[in-house]
Amino acid sequence: MIPSAKSFFRLDYGGKVEREIAGMLALFEEIKFNAGRYPQRWLAIKLLEADADVLERVRSMPNGSLVAAAAQQSAEKLKSLLGEDVDYLTADRRYGYINGVVRQSLHRPLLDRITLTDRIDDIVTHKWLGLPFFFAIMYIMFRLVIDVSAPFLDWTDAVINGPIANWLSFLLNLTTAPAWIHSLVLDGIVAGVGGVLVFVPGLLILYFFLALLEDSGYMSRAAFVMDRFMRVVGLHGKSFIPMILGFGCAVPAIYATRTIASRRDRVLTALLVPLMSCSARLPVYVVFGLAFFGSKAGTVIWAMYALGIIVAMLAGLVFTRTILKPDVSSAFVLELPPYRQPSFKSVTIHMWENTREFVRKAGTTILFVSIVMWFLLNLPWGVANKRDSYFGQVSGGIAPVFTPLGFGNWETSGALVTGFMAKEIVVSTMSQVYLKEVINDVAVEPASFGRDLIGIGSGFVDAAINSGKILVSIIPGVNVMDAGAETQDTVLSLALRENFNSLSAAALLVFVLLYVPCVATLGAIKHEFGTSWAVMSAVYQTVVAWIAALIVFQGGKLLGLG
Amino acid sequence: MLQQLISLLEEKKDGLSLFEISRILKSQPSAVMSMVELLVRKGKLLEFGPDGKCCTTCGLESECNLLAVRGKRYVLAGLSENISGYQIG
Repeated sequence: MIPSAKSFFRLDYGGKVEREIAGMLALFEEIKFNAGRYPQRWLAIKLLEADADVLERVRSMPNGSLVAAAAQQSAEKLKSLLGEDVDYLTADRRYGYINGVVRQSLHRPLLDRITLTDRIDDIVTHKWLGLPFFFAIMYIMFRLVIDVSAPFLDWTDAVINGPIANWLSFLLNLTTAPAWIHSLVLDGIVAGVGGVLVFVPGLLILYFFLALLEDSGYMSRAAFVMDRFMRVVGLHGKSFIPMILGFGCAVPAIYATRTIASRRDRVLTALLVPLMSCSARLPVYVVFGLAFFGSKAGTVIWAMYALGIIVAMLAGLVFTRTILKPDVSSAFVLELPPYRQPSFKSVTIHMWENTREFVRKAGTTILFVSIVMWFLLNLPWGVANKRDSYFGQVSGGIAPVFTPLGFGNWETSGALVTGFMAKEIVVSTMSQVYLKEVINDVAVEPASFGRDLIGIGSGFVDAAINSGKILVSIIPGVNVMDAGAETQDTVLSLALRENFNSLSAAALLVFVLLYVPCVATLGAIKHEFGTSWAVMSAVYQTVVAWIAALIVFQGGKLLGLG
Repeated sequence: MLQQLISLLEEKKDGLSLFEISRILKSQPSAVMSMVELLVRKGKLLEFGPDGKCCTTCGLESECNLLAVRGKRYVLAGLSENISGYQIG
């Protein structure tokens, strides 16, 4: 059926535009312009809109140039009258019409517009609930990291100091290597590198949860929630994104400050990022947490992360009022992506890439430092007491600085100095310094490859079962743990208990959290902002760390906690 | 409708994302997209990436993960010059 002329839809473009359209149609009539297959009204509108394709075709027609010139004149007239191009005016009318039709014909219940994301955001980005929710999430995460990974830490420790040490010893015996090579491999490399690799399961679980938070879209909300508090220290939420990255590693976090427009904001953020507790500090927290705080280890570690944020806020406050006064506040624009279900593949890749970097560092920097450390602990050659070694003498010279903090022994001061290379090395050095005698005392059993492998496999299964039980027991009211089951002490934990108490251990944790950033982080700050800011970062953090540890230790003693 | 969109952005010096515009105008993002594209083409709006940089001058626009996840923001051309947080290029 051919519709009648009356049934054709015709959109009204408004009085002035319609008058020009009518003028064009009158011109077509007057000069008998043959528009061919094109509807005349449509052609008139397209000419007024200065549609390049239509203009080109019309100009090729008889009298086309005259029509095009008239259309151009009309379009200019409309622009001078209405202040806009005709294509803008006609599009506005069309969209207005479409919108009206949709509104009249499509009714969507209001409930559909409130998405699940909106509902979750009502809670997690709430003015008052947002921050407690953020800290609660962090608390749960660290409880899970510590509790669930504990059986795997024991298993890794047992594997490294048991079968692997035995196999290496067996191989060294086969090669008839001299005694000092035995000592270098077992007391230097196994104790140093192995002491750090023990924490790989914990890091895997930490990165798993960080990946979950990031991929689900919560991390953007955390930055949003922190925006209000960041403004107190003269920054905005954008600065919190590098800080969140700093929970993984401070080096990429320093480079991430490039997304901040203001140099002053960038510098301030870079000075605060190293106060965020990076994953390299986690081994130190775990080893001291499990040795001195038992079931409260998760809470203590969470407190370290929270303390890092609080000190960063206070430091920001000081900088903002002294050397880094705020300039004109820039806008903080953060799109909150909808919540998504993290994909297993994405989370696994995130876990693997970060843990691989940790293992790579263990195989390079920590291996190198462990070997150097072994030599420093054994030079002058044949030294009987390690306190008399070069390392012991230098560390002993520094130790008095730490005496008011509760850990003024040469072993700890030496470990803290080597931690400047990378924070994990604190544990690595302590493993070498404290464990030497212990490892030597361990009777090396004859290697039995098959029996060891079975032991490793069954140990892993036991660790997995225990982790599963711990995970289930986290649910309130559910306890499937065996009565009396608890985390085994590692060899290092036993050694540390002879040299620390819980108060000096807490002071040490605070010092490790806050003191000089590792050499790679300082390199990144120097690269981005220059030597003076890198020096500033190193000095102020060390001073803050010393004062904070002093407050913890001396304050704790005054309160009778020591 | 276009004028309504421009009036809306006149009040938002930090700009709005497509999702935010469509929510305020109570329209589908796909419908708003064509309007926004027209206004960008006409030079009335400027589009920025989520980090405040102008995406159209970036050679990595098609490969930008941040952009894929967070989308662009649209700012009225006259207003963007006053926003220190935004950079072009």
